[in-house]
Amino acid sequence: MKWMTTCREATELASRAMDERLPLSSRMALRLHLAICANCTRFNQQLQEMRRLFRAETAATDDAAGLAPDARQRIASELQKKLGS
Amino acid sequence: MNTLDAHTWLTEHGDYLFRVARRQLHSDELAEDAVQETLLAALSAQARYAGDASPRTWLTGILKHKIVDLIRRNVREVEIPRDSDGEEAIDLLFRQDGHWAEPLHPWGNPHAEAELGQLRRVLDECADRLKPVMAQVFSLREVAGMETEEICKELNITPTNCWVLLHRARLFMRQCLELNGFSKVGAA
Repeated sequence: MKWMTTCREATELASRAMDERLPLSSRMALRLHLAICANCTRFNQQLQEMRRLFRAETAATDDAAGLAPDARQRIASELQKKLGS
Repeated sequence: MNTLDAHTWLTEHGDYLFRVARRQLHSDELAEDAVQETLLAALSAQARYAGDASPRTWLTGILKHKIVDLIRRNVREVEIPRDSDGEEAIDLLFRQDGHWAEPLHPWGNPHAEAELGQLRRVLDECADRLKPVMAQVFSLREVAGMETEEICKELNITPTNCWVLLHRARLFMRQCLELNGFSKVGAA
């Protein structure tokens, strides 16, 4: 392992950690870097923020919504068309 | 029986499928398309429905594929010059020594302000600036929540390439969201 991880390398590790468990040495390198780097700490938080924002959790308040009547009508007639053909 | 089934699916599961699709697509319109395509596909495939899963589970399985299709199709080819894999653009984000070229600003509270349509708009606008495959990888992972392994298979790219694309997409999307008013400083 190199003495110091650069920001560029740290962002790669932070990104990868969003997808899989990092090997111990990478995890340590990332943690050490984040401990002394405000920018990368922010980057890491914003990666998680982005995910929360775009994934299901944020839209949960809309869960009462259903198909609009006109959309339902349109889909029903498409189904009918297909059944008729 | 067939006629009955297709319409029953719509009546009994339409709202559910719509909500699932809407949560992943962040758009009423796209979600309606997803439901329609799911039910039409189900109609064609009903001979293969063995009945060991509940209709809802079966339909949701079809819906998942339709959502992936819609995300892939929703990525537009735009005519802005882009280097092949974003490497040069990444170079601009960092200095030679590997430090950030510009400090990162804290974000406000995007949760509180972001509404469904607005989120979709920002996502589309930012995705338009990415290479299409990068936008697809990002949406499938960060929006639809698919596992990276599935995404590689779906888009037929190697895991390494998939991961590089995903990381670059995240760097660019983060920057783009910041430019779109997510940052406290930028919003002033």
